[in-house]
Amino acid sequence: MIGRIALLAGLISSAGLGGVRGQDAWSAPPLLHNRSTIPGVVEFDLTAAPARLALVPGTLTDVYAYNGSIPGPTLELREGDRVTIHFHNDLPEATTVHWHGLNVPVSADGSPYDPVAPGASRDYVFTVGAGTAGTYWYHPHPDHRSGFQIAKGLFGAIIIRAADDPLAGVPEKLLILSDNRFRADGSLDLPDPDSPQGQIDMENGREGDVLFVNGHVLPTIPIQSGAVQRWRVINASAARVYRLALAGQTILHVGDDGGLFERPDEVKEILLANSERVELLVRGDGQPGSRTTLQALPYDRYVPQTRPAGWNQTRDLLTLAYSADRPRPPLVLPPTLRVIPALDTADATVTRVVVLSQGLINGKAMDMNRVDFEGRLGTTEIWEIDNVVGMDHPFHLHGFHFQVLDRNGVPAPRRSWKDSVNVPAHETVRIIVRFDGYPGKWMFHCHILDHEDQGMMGVLELK
Amino acid sequence: MKGEHMRWRHSVPAFAALSVGVLGLAAFLSPRASVAGRVAQQTDLVARGRYLVITHDCGGCHGGGSDPAAPGWLAGMTSPDQEFLIGPCATKPGATPCFHTRPRNLTPDNTTGLGRFSERQIFNALRYGLRPEETPDVEITSMTPGQGNFPAHPRYLAPPMPWPAWRHMPDQDLWAIAAYLKRGVKPVTNKVPDSEGPPDFWVSGYTADKIGSYPVAAFPTANERVPQQ
Repeated sequence: MIGRIALLAGLISSAGLGGVRGQDAWSAPPLLHNRSTIPGVVEFDLTAAPARLALVPGTLTDVYAYNGSIPGPTLELREGDRVTIHFHNDLPEATTVHWHGLNVPVSADGSPYDPVAPGASRDYVFTVGAGTAGTYWYHPHPDHRSGFQIAKGLFGAIIIRAADDPLAGVPEKLLILSDNRFRADGSLDLPDPDSPQGQIDMENGREGDVLFVNGHVLPTIPIQSGAVQRWRVINASAARVYRLALAGQTILHVGDDGGLFERPDEVKEILLANSERVELLVRGDGQPGSRTTLQALPYDRYVPQTRPAGWNQTRDLLTLAYSADRPRPPLVLPPTLRVIPALDTADATVTRVVVLSQGLINGKAMDMNRVDFEGRLGTTEIWEIDNVVGMDHPFHLHGFHFQVLDRNGVPAPRRSWKDSVNVPAHETVRIIVRFDGYPGKWMFHCHILDHEDQGMMGVLELK
Repeated sequence: MKGEHMRWRHSVPAFAALSVGVLGLAAFLSPRASVAGRVAQQTDLVARGRYLVITHDCGGCHGGGSDPAAPGWLAGMTSPDQEFLIGPCATKPGATPCFHTRPRNLTPDNTTGLGRFSERQIFNALRYGLRPEETPDVEITSMTPGQGNFPAHPRYLAPPMPWPAWRHMPDQDLWAIAAYLKRGVKPVTNKVPDSEGPPDFWVSGYTADKIGSYPVAAFPTANERVPQQ
């Protein structure tokens, strides 16, 4: 929080005068303290409460925060941990905490069925599954209010570690990407839904013009020439989709939502839709003393009617500064990071069609009293997700990891565990999922938060 | 498809009466109709829809003109000269605002046409001017946004689609058009870029004082007279 003001001042001067950018020191959210001393048992205290924080220069902003910071503290867990999170709601409204991507009992999912009233507490209890090491996040998921509460500042990271992590020892950076929009007095710009901007926010999802990495604007990550860093990147934005690139160099893409791939994939850019995560290996390829930037390249996810001005501008997210230290020997990666067994389409007993339109799934708005799909635990299903409108819709399924089979009939380039997948305009994505997990009512929805809150969500009941 | 057909049967009992006069097939509309009868009934509905599509010149914009045998029949825009310019630029080049609107693919292709829309959604598009993908797949009983399944924030079809006139067709004719488009035309893959438009999706252009009311005022209005006997 401290560095942000100075940095924002730097940003503004750079915008006006072409001055120096990226003066902010690097920092990541604090790790949440585990108050258990028993190995394999984790006990956290987490409180959501109103706060006043300095987000933009010279002003304070009324926000909601987990344990007083934006982003909230990071939950670091190990596969097999038995976790209890004592959550307390000090907000003036009901909320929930959804552990996005974790395979937890439905009672711990923080879905809209289980609101925590103002002033009330709830224990979220679950065990971290084997093979789920990866990068996840937590955020509110109350009925119709997720977008508002996350815009107010409620989001944080979860890192699950494996005992046999093939990249253990590689220095890590956590990058939580978010955006927000402010009025001149520093208050959050949350317009009336019936105002022209409110209408555009409902259509596109609310985007902000200020881009944050871990709550900072344009921070600088130092890297030694020749060194390698493992970046865990989370898109915590309500609607902004990040097309990430490191100017002048390639990136090794090594994992996404549910952890590592089988093999690294060398890429020039990565599309990170809402709620998705990626793991990257960033190599210090630059000359000592030089700099590069992590950029958000233009990405047209919009319908022509509400495509925002400036959508085609590249935005800088952070600076990568190569220190003048002596170059390090290159990192040698194992040929296989881990084995991901393929879910077999021959095992699928049910194929469902999920039609995404603007604010609707299969022509219906969310109804908590309706079950849209009924399924059986232990079975494998194929879901064909058709986006019939001219805007991307990132699709999220609670409670289970799936594999992407194909996009418009073109097989997925690699196998991975996903819980969210972008379905671009007028495209069809097929996924395969095995319901190994817990029974109950599970949400599936568009993760553009304004769309989710409008009811672009359905219910899968597993028995 | 069967489910949609059943919904149609429940919602349009009046069709039986109409078809006595127009099509003479009322016997087939009994709930106990034979399989052959149902096929004939469906074919008949599609034939009615075909007639309406031809006579309303749908192909004039959406491809094929008045000839169902023409290439590109209802398959949507295939060349930029089929675009419409909506706004001052229509008469004055360069004037703004300027929106390019494009006749879309009306064939039942799943990804580029109407394949993923139900006949109910196509009906709602024709009756209320709503983009079919953005109408709920349920009966709309109100024209007040947010009530009776009418979307809280309606998004209308781009001009010059003449739905303000065609919405006055009787229910059974709109169902017939939907049936023809979904069941009587072969799917053609032709991706038409989305139409442009103002951020309100034409809401301010389609108010009742601009396009009249639905249903229309009772006859005779001040402009009309009862014919002398």
